[in-house]
Amino acid sequence: MSETKPEFVEAVDIEITVNGKSYQRSVEPRMLLVEFLREELRLTGTHIGCDTSYCGACTIRLDGDAVKSCTLFAVQADGAKVATVEGLATEAGLHPLQKAFSEHHGLQCGYCTPGMLMSASALLDEIPNPSDKDIKKRIAGNVCRCTGYQNIIKSVHAAANELREA
Amino acid sequence: MEMKFDGEFSVAIPRQEAFELLSDPQKFAPLLPTFHSMEMKDEKTANLKVKVGIGRIYGVASTELTLEAAEAPLRAEYVGRGKVMGGAYNMIAAFDLEDAGDETLIRWSGETQIYGKVLSLAGGSMRGYAEAEINRLIGSLQLALSSEAEAAAILAARAAQPQGLWQKLLALLGLWSPPEVPVLASEPEPQEKPALRLLAKPPTRKVLKADEAPSTLGKIAAADSIEMDRKGSESWVGSPLRRKEDSRLVRGNGLFVDDLQTSDMLHLAMVRSPYAHARILSIDVSEAQALPGVITTLTGAEIAAVMEPYMQIGPEPGASIQDYPMAVDKAIYQGEPVVAVIAETPRIAADAAELVEVDYEVLEAVMSVEAAAEDKSILHPGSGTNKVWEGVYEYGDLDAAFAEAAHIVKIDRLHFHRFSSTPLETNGCVASWDNRGEIEFFSTNTFPTIGMQMMAPALGVSIDKIRCRSHDIGGSFGNKITSYPGMTIAALASRKVGGQQVKWIETRNENLLAGGHGGERTFLDTEVALDANGVITAVRSRHLDDCGAFPRYEPLGCVIWSQVLPGSLKVRNLRIDFRQYATNKCPAVPNRGYSRLQHLWFMERVLDICGHQLGIPTDEMRRRNYIDEFPYTTPNGCVYDSGDYHQMLDTAKALIGWDDWKEKQRQAREEGRWLGIGIGTTLDSGTNNFGQAQIVNPDAPFSGNSEVCTLKIDIDGSIVASLGTVPSGQGHETATAQVVADELGLGPDLVHVRPGTDTARNSHTGHSGTYASQFAVTGLGAVHGAAVKLKKEILRLGAHALQAEEEELEFGMGEMGAQLTVPGTEKAIPFMYLANIVNTNNAGLPDELDDVSLNVRYVFRPKFELPDLEKKYGNLTLTYAAQVHIAVVEVDKYTCQPRILGYAVVDDCGKQINPKIVEGQVHGATAHGIGAAIMENYLYDEGGNLMTSSFSDYTPITALNMPDLTCASQESPSPFTFNGAKGCGEGGGAPLHTISAAVQDALVAEGVIVGDTFNSATAIFELLHGKGSRSSVEHQSLAG
Ligand code: FES
Ligand code: FES
Repeated sequence: MSETKPEFVEAVDIEITVNGKSYQRSVEPRMLLVEFLREELRLTGTHIGCDTSYCGACTIRLDGDAVKSCTLFAVQADGAKVATVEGLATEAGLHPLQKAFSEHHGLQCGYCTPGMLMSASALLDEIPNPSDKDIKKRIAGNVCRCTGYQNIIKSVHAAANELREA
Repeated sequence: MEMKFDGEFSVAIPRQEAFELLSDPQKFAPLLPTFHSMEMKDEKTANLKVKVGIGRIYGVASTELTLEAAEAPLRAEYVGRGKVMGGAYNMIAAFDLEDAGDETLIRWSGETQIYGKVLSLAGGSMRGYAEAEINRLIGSLQLALSSEAEAAAILAARAAQPQGLWQKLLALLGLWSPPEVPVLASEPEPQEKPALRLLAKPPTRKVLKADEAPSTLGKIAAADSIEMDRKGSESWVGSPLRRKEDSRLVRGNGLFVDDLQTSDMLHLAMVRSPYAHARILSIDVSEAQALPGVITTLTGAEIAAVMEPYMQIGPEPGASIQDYPMAVDKAIYQGEPVVAVIAETPRIAADAAELVEVDYEVLEAVMSVEAAAEDKSILHPGSGTNKVWEGVYEYGDLDAAFAEAAHIVKIDRLHFHRFSSTPLETNGCVASWDNRGEIEFFSTNTFPTIGMQMMAPALGVSIDKIRCRSHDIGGSFGNKITSYPGMTIAALASRKVGGQQVKWIETRNENLLAGGHGGERTFLDTEVALDANGVITAVRSRHLDDCGAFPRYEPLGCVIWSQVLPGSLKVRNLRIDFRQYATNKCPAVPNRGYSRLQHLWFMERVLDICGHQLGIPTDEMRRRNYIDEFPYTTPNGCVYDSGDYHQMLDTAKALIGWDDWKEKQRQAREEGRWLGIGIGTTLDSGTNNFGQAQIVNPDAPFSGNSEVCTLKIDIDGSIVASLGTVPSGQGHETATAQVVADELGLGPDLVHVRPGTDTARNSHTGHSGTYASQFAVTGLGAVHGAAVKLKKEILRLGAHALQAEEEELEFGMGEMGAQLTVPGTEKAIPFMYLANIVNTNNAGLPDELDDVSLNVRYVFRPKFELPDLEKKYGNLTLTYAAQVHIAVVEVDKYTCQPRILGYAVVDDCGKQINPKIVEGQVHGATAHGIGAAIMENYLYDEGGNLMTSSFSDYTPITALNMPDLTCASQESPSPFTFNGAKGCGEGGGAPLHTISAAVQDALVAEGVIVGDTFNSATAIFELLHGKGSRSSVEHQSLAG
């Protein structure tokens, strides 16, 4: 019970694989994963929209699961495999979800889009033929203030169709 | 520019032999000096590959060579077309053969056009290069038709000279030197390809080829793609194109303000007042400043010492308000900035903010307009009252209308709650104020020109010293118009630290506390006169508007509602006594449907309450009261341009399945369930006449409206548009490209629209921005005007270049992209070439083209008159889009939870520029309205604490709460706009009216009046159980 003043803590060495590339960094223990991605790796596609784990703008995939990267410290992702929106498109072109969002006008300002795409990609990996309800449930943690969700749901269905046919 | 050459030479072979060679593309083509390989497309046409080279990079270009005419053994004529390194050429060559003793005399004539980027290197001496090209071809020909000895002599003479266009250019620039001969000893070049020798050494570095490029480069190349399928539409305008913006946004490649990062950027965190109303007794920043990584702090007192308060838009008493971006002596709303901390990282800044000690003396908080009106506790000592503005809007003959009324309905109180559209990206900026006095913002502000008009005089700088930029903005819905106080603080912080960039980004909590709330309004003592048929003949009421702590943009809300004074109703006699008050809440800001949705909700509520009182069904009430002639001049002089509300209602009823639901409702009622069906009609008035500001304040320096587009053909022929608007998701890049594409006869993929805004582009006026549903009219009006202006210049220059009349010219697409042609001739000029002429190659241009720059700026000004300020009469808006919504809502008897069982939307925004974007706007505005009606509320307690200051409490609507929408649209083109379009961005808050109506209909048997816009489960519970304020209604039937 000696010190109560804020103190600087030693940086922690971590190694995180992001979009297939491994990064080693020393980070403050309190640095959030979303801050790590945005500030350390300059992968600014992952956005921040709230401070209560409500909006989902920061959604990424952590070892396959869709998680809100503002809710984890970077050190908690040590050793993990992270996928962000920047990794969705490949040499072959856009991911079917990205194409479908554009085709069906599933985005307007695009601020929610990266998180939305990551949630949707996790959904489609799990449920290749989702119902409206499945989609709504899985993106209920992703707030979009522009689209009213109608075209997002349409886009996810369209991508699911394309992925199934592929 | 056309260049013609001719000449003759003799060869020592018979005419027939020479003709055979000259008329056979397979033999002729390899004679081209830069021949590489060929393939015959058909008998007469060869697809050639020719080598071109600059320095160490060389490549292969394709050319199509066609034997146009052959008349044995007299004449052969070729046409060639090709592309080279950012340029292109057309060429015609003809050979006429004549016997001359043993020899054959060959007269030749050549014509060539060369254009493109290459010209910018070549400057004015193009003719020389073209000449050289032709001469080289003739040279090769001569060579082929000559004896071996002659050939050797010709070759030797040539090797010491730079050959061909590329090498000539390089020689000019001093980059070419004669090759060491032989170049490739082991692989001697075949003689028929002499030019290859001149291509210096093979490159030492690997040449980057498109298909080998790293993926990141490939992605960048694809970043501006747009769909090229009109989907049946005759023009680009009107087709539901995918958006240009999407390709960067779906990749996470957008550039939002927080994405801008530099290594020496500093970060700002605010210390905010925890109290709604409190005097600041002392501030201690010492501990904060002592924290390692903290650079400095900034207090309100420091700021007030170096700046003037912002200009107030309104007159007295509001004009006396001292508005600084930070609390100086006292804080007047919870969340008001009190101190700013600037540190090396956002985390250190936030830590340090916690260490700032502020002593407050808590004062009485004024938390309602009614309390504000009492003036017991005053927010702004300078003005001496909480009243900000007052004015009476009276039209027609109220006394007569009430005297003749068959029914009078009185409603004591209605209330429109506080909410906002809370864009997912909060407010923020990166600011710098350098030692040269230049202030620069990269920000989320969507109306920066008004922000600059506020900041420049307050900071004592000329407006040109301020530059505002944006790229991508994560939604605004009007809320981000008033972010200039935060921007000012960040700029002052930068100045204090010596000009380094300072980034300020609101947290969500800060955004909800202080980022701006939509306006709250209370409607008192409403009296409605109706005739025996239930037609409303008069309305009088007192409207008290709550603008929160500072009016800022807000006094304009005191007039903007009157754009829709009668709503969709025919009523001609109205009297609204309008007052605005300051309270200890977050300052109000424009929010989607700004100021009109409050009034429209009021008019719709009045209509439905009267219908209930008179026992007239809601649809029938509308039939009897709807305006049905257009254009329609409202009692206050606004002109509703076009529409068909009856048709919209019919469509909406069909969409929802009106009769089915009526039957289901009957059954539900039998079962004792609360099922209601509500209709909401709303107007989205677009393109403000800023003259209405003078109704609020006759001295306000605003009237009319304007927007700007700057359109140019850039040096290399690219078509580039810069807008004055500041899009935040509305697809301005796409819609702009559609309009330009139609006007200039090209594809929207060729129109590059610069993302976001930048005042340094000189493409703005003081009205420029994105607000008030006007892009389709003012924004695209500017784009269209610019395209027309540019087109005129293109035609003038094109006529000169092609030596043709302007009327003969046609726009179209050629191999080199957009071009002008003279139909029926070979004459064609790509834009690229025209751009070259004005930008880098203008020697010899005639005087009459002196004013042609292919770089035009067009200011669109809709035609508006100044309103009659005395009578508050005049046309305040150019267009009136409309929507009719129908909702079916069931209120759970036990939880009071309203559940939306069906939702139909019909919209009419005139001609749709891009139906996809329009649909998106309709969906989005509907979601905001539904969220606001049942979920989203800024709820303050009596002490001024915001109870809903996180997204867990202020719950934005999610995919699970959002009902499935059934949508339809109709198009009533506006007669007042160049394209028949109307603004459509705001949607007029229709769900607020619709859900209030549906909940009312559900609860009709309970004898309660839905008197508030907010109808969450709790709100409905309180309504049913007599908690909170209730509206009471009195109905007098006077008819005999
Ligand atoms: S930023 Fe992570 S949930 Fe909102
Ligand atoms: S597109 Fe703007 S928040 Fe979803």
